[in-house]
Amino acid sequence: MGEKFDIGYVFTFFPKLAGTLQTTLIIVGGALLTSLIVGFLVALPRLYKVPVLQRLSQLYASFFRGTPILIQLFLFYYGLPEILKLVNIDVSRAPVLVFVILTYGLHTGAYVSETIRSAVASVDRGQVEAAYSVGMSGYQAFTRIVMPQALAIAVPVLSNVILALLKDTSLAFSLGVMEMTGKSQTLAALTNHFVESYISLALIYLVISMVLERLLIILERRLLRHESRAADPFPVFRRERFRRIRQWFTRERSVRLREEAQ
Amino acid sequence: MIKLTGITKSFGRQQVLQGIDLQVEKGEVVVILGPSGSGKTTLLRCINYLERPNEGRIEIGDFEVDCGRASKKDIYALRGKTAMVFQHYNLFKHKTVLENVMEGLVIVQKMPKETARRRSVEVLEKVGLGEKLDAYPSMLSGGQQQRVGIARALALNPEVILFDEPTSALDPELVGEVLAVIRRIAKEGITMIVVTHEMGFARDVANHVVFMDGGVIVEEGAPRDIFNKPREERTKQFFKRIMPEPAYSI
Repeated sequence: MGEKFDIGYVFTFFPKLAGTLQTTLIIVGGALLTSLIVGFLVALPRLYKVPVLQRLSQLYASFFRGTPILIQLFLFYYGLPEILKLVNIDVSRAPVLVFVILTYGLHTGAYVSETIRSAVASVDRGQVEAAYSVGMSGYQAFTRIVMPQALAIAVPVLSNVILALLKDTSLAFSLGVMEMTGKSQTLAALTNHFVESYISLALIYLVISMVLERLLIILERRLLRHESRAADPFPVFRRERFRRIRQWFTRERSVRLREEAQ
Repeated sequence: MIKLTGITKSFGRQQVLQGIDLQVEKGEVVVILGPSGSGKTTLLRCINYLERPNEGRIEIGDFEVDCGRASKKDIYALRGKTAMVFQHYNLFKHKTVLENVMEGLVIVQKMPKETARRRSVEVLEKVGLGEKLDAYPSMLSGGQQQRVGIARALALNPEVILFDEPTSALDPELVGEVLAVIRRIAKEGITMIVVTHEMGFARDVANHVVFMDGGVIVEEGAPRDIFNKPREERTKQFFKRIMPEPAYSI
């Protein structure tokens, strides 16, 4: 059993945990970059229906979406050096962080590729034809017309993926990486104040998540600024409803006033 | 001058165009009529290679291409000489009205931004949208969107503008404004090939009417001849079906 609960520890742990925030963010940042590159490359063969590569990219996505991230971490950390040893490449001295970032990158990449694929497919084909008709090349049509719109469509889904990635990095501790979760375990064990340590940890994750969410919403708004409010029937409908309610109130009151006057 | 010779196109086993020959003089407005499935839209899309014809020749001005073995360069050259107005407008949704028109000028024709801007504003004013430069397509009515589509095509200064049923997706009360714009630019002597179901428009504006059915040109000629005394049985049937009221011809 731990020591008696003492709220003071939550605050003393806070700066200590925040000191390892850097490691967590390095994993998130590195993995995100890897996943965007990998996800994009893997999405291409499926978008353009390249025969063999298409199957391979499906296989890749099923593996990383169908197995637990913890198992993937173990497989990469313990398995990959063994396989590479067979072809005479020694990676036993490579820092753990490299394996961690690689695994998270590939894991997240599987989700990113699915997101990109569906986002690109949802930009209507007519705009591509219009781009061709004004004389653009396939590359120009993709980068100037399809990509910007696909990105805007993908951002809400990518936000989920990024938040999931942030929280998943807590498992990197199982390979001995001293990121936030690892640090909180250590602090808890040293002081015997387990609950305080985890509360402190949860608060930090929550704050970062909220900040990220906010930033991504701003990004989404900016990318979707071409979707006019007028095209969205809901606000109009709501405005109309408010007007009716106000009318109802004012009429009611005027009736009541008249009755009182009589 | 535009000259099509022996254009054929099939989708799978179905032959949609069975050897089309068509000649369009400079400044002419050609209207293509025909029942749905007659291949008129496909023919239009073959002219700028949105569909790849199986065989045939396309000549525009002094440029000439053999469709059987057109290279990428030929296709870009062909698209550089044509512009298209689509049934569903197909505006770039993430770009403003002005950017929609400027895009081709800046990216494809490599025009300096300022020149492109001036040209685009001028064309947009011509179609009556000088006030809407910074609006996004989603804020516009269908008729306004289609006028942006026309401006986008017109700005490129093509040898011919291809109209693919430009008013079919519009509410009836918006058709007029779009037809009025097309009429106005027709008067400026721009060569146009128009696929449409607007008979009144075809009658007033066309210099030449082509009636297609089953992937071939059944009959062509001056609008007065085609509308008033069609020679072919198939053409008579078609007009009878779409203009059944005798009041129409009075």
